[in-house]
Amino acid sequence: MGYLIAIVILCGINIVAALGVAILTGYTGLFTIGHAGFMALGGYMSAIMVKELNVPYPLALLIGGAFAGICSFIIGYPAFRSRLRGDYFAIATLGFSEAIRLLLNNTRGLGQSLQDSTSSFGQGASSLLIKLGGAFGYMNLPNVTNVWVVVVTVALAMFFAHMYVTSQYGKNSIAISQDEVAAEMMGVNLLKTKLISLFISAFYAGVAGGLLGFYFAYLSPSLFTITKSSDLLAAVVFGGIQSLIGPFITAFVLIGVPELLRTFAEWRLIIYGFLFVIVMIFRPQGLLGYVEMNFSFLGRWWNAIFRRKHTPSQKG
Amino acid sequence: MELFIQQLVSGISIGAIYSLLAVGYALVYSVYNFTNWAFDAFMAFGAFIAFTSISSLFLPFWAAGAISIVLTIILAVSAEKLAYSPLRARKAPRLFMMISAMGVNLAIVNIINLIYGGTFRKFPVDALQPIFIGNVSIGRTDLVAGGISFVVLALLWAFLYRTRWGLGVRASSIDILTASLMGINNNGVAIVVFTLTGILSSVAGIFYGIKYAVYPMMGMVTIKAMIASIVGGLGSLPAAIVGSMILGILETMVSGYISSTYRDLFSFLFLIVILLFFPNGLMGKSVEEKL
Repeated sequence: MGYLIAIVILCGINIVAALGVAILTGYTGLFTIGHAGFMALGGYMSAIMVKELNVPYPLALLIGGAFAGICSFIIGYPAFRSRLRGDYFAIATLGFSEAIRLLLNNTRGLGQSLQDSTSSFGQGASSLLIKLGGAFGYMNLPNVTNVWVVVVTVALAMFFAHMYVTSQYGKNSIAISQDEVAAEMMGVNLLKTKLISLFISAFYAGVAGGLLGFYFAYLSPSLFTITKSSDLLAAVVFGGIQSLIGPFITAFVLIGVPELLRTFAEWRLIIYGFLFVIVMIFRPQGLLGYVEMNFSFLGRWWNAIFRRKHTPSQKG
Repeated sequence: MELFIQQLVSGISIGAIYSLLAVGYALVYSVYNFTNWAFDAFMAFGAFIAFTSISSLFLPFWAAGAISIVLTIILAVSAEKLAYSPLRARKAPRLFMMISAMGVNLAIVNIINLIYGGTFRKFPVDALQPIFIGNVSIGRTDLVAGGISFVVLALLWAFLYRTRWGLGVRASSIDILTASLMGINNNGVAIVVFTLTGILSSVAGIFYGIKYAVYPMMGMVTIKAMIASIVGGLGSLPAAIVGSMILGILETMVSGYISSTYRDLFSFLFLIVILLFFPNGLMGKSVEEKL
């Protein structure tokens, strides 16, 4: 039972991050292969908040997400302003996430080099950087992420993502993904819309990183490799472009199934690779591409049950 | 001063390898308007073929290189036939092409990983003694890698600008539809472009392997080629080469004078700075979307 719950928690965390990628790649048409970097930023930030500054856990998750979102402007603003084409933006995100990982791998060394500084700020930064532990990992975090936290976060994430993509901003994003020039001619502010979309996407990834840290009770740069980014991208590609429910389902399947079939672990990425090609050739919109999350069936069921109850009484 | 010259030579040689990669990307991009993400997998494939031919089959270096080039060409052309050409025939959006290429990349890299494991291997060539000019020692591998890379680039230029096939490729890069109306064989151009891609990636892979190491993820270095082509300015081959040289020299200078740990960080910061102050790259024309 504990094992199943662990899988549910991991799936939930990945769903939150995959929803972020869905907003950016699925809806805005910006290809990202660097979301692991945003996860790392958010995770480390919220861990520092809880461990060093005693900020309450839910608030720390939000701060971590916001931090990842703000950091995303470092890459987003120059890239979008220069109208970097999709593929090159993807490279920029990949470079960003590798740079983050490189920095986190070397925090120990950085901290030790700052140790001689005389200012109190330098001293504080140095001790914090040494505590982060470099490649060894940031240890002894409180183990507070449980299945309920994850379920609530996933529900909230799904709700807000749905609100975003059906809002005016979401429609602007979809317009950009269809045709940038046409969208701009219709009065969509490209830079602003893309930055908002990137911020939200990075925010989701950051929250997911925080959840991950407080679940494993440690964070290490090796959790946030390019494989992680590929997994998230795979969830969105298989789940479907312009769909939230698709990535939701595929993130669950793609994380859950390999966890259950540990023996096939090394084949997983090979199979993903071939599936990418096959999906693009035979069903390029993905499993549930362009399928909006829709709860009208709940209303229909409710009506059906409600009416069935009342129809006899009306007749009677 | 000696250190500076040594780093400069080393930087030019690594810049030449980046140029091969950047040109390989630019070639596919200019004709088919999508980034061939599988390029780095071709590079790792080429390096591993050469590695295996030397270490297991005990072939001489030139034969291993030839086998590697031929097999990488076959791989590149079959990737185009299986993964890209069906999408192109359907006029699929660029995002789909990119995802498909990414799939090819994931599959090949992880197959290599499965066969060889993720360890770093030394490329099995005898270490060449460095040449001493005064107090300056210059690695012969640097000279060979840089020299051959420049020869390959020159041959590529001659092919593109001095042959009928090259003319076909250049015409297709301007407008592939009109080119095919003018009697240029589209399928032929595709085979030529991906053959060139195979040659470039294989040569780059072998020399990168000699200079550093052979490992499945070695294709990650193509990020540098991308950064280089953004720095130089998108959409032109000379700009890609200039960008690669600048980046190569910058990197070796950073690892020589500051710290090799933060080399990649510097190249990434460099990209952001360039984008902030030269949004179109150093030599790039203004990037306007074609209607």
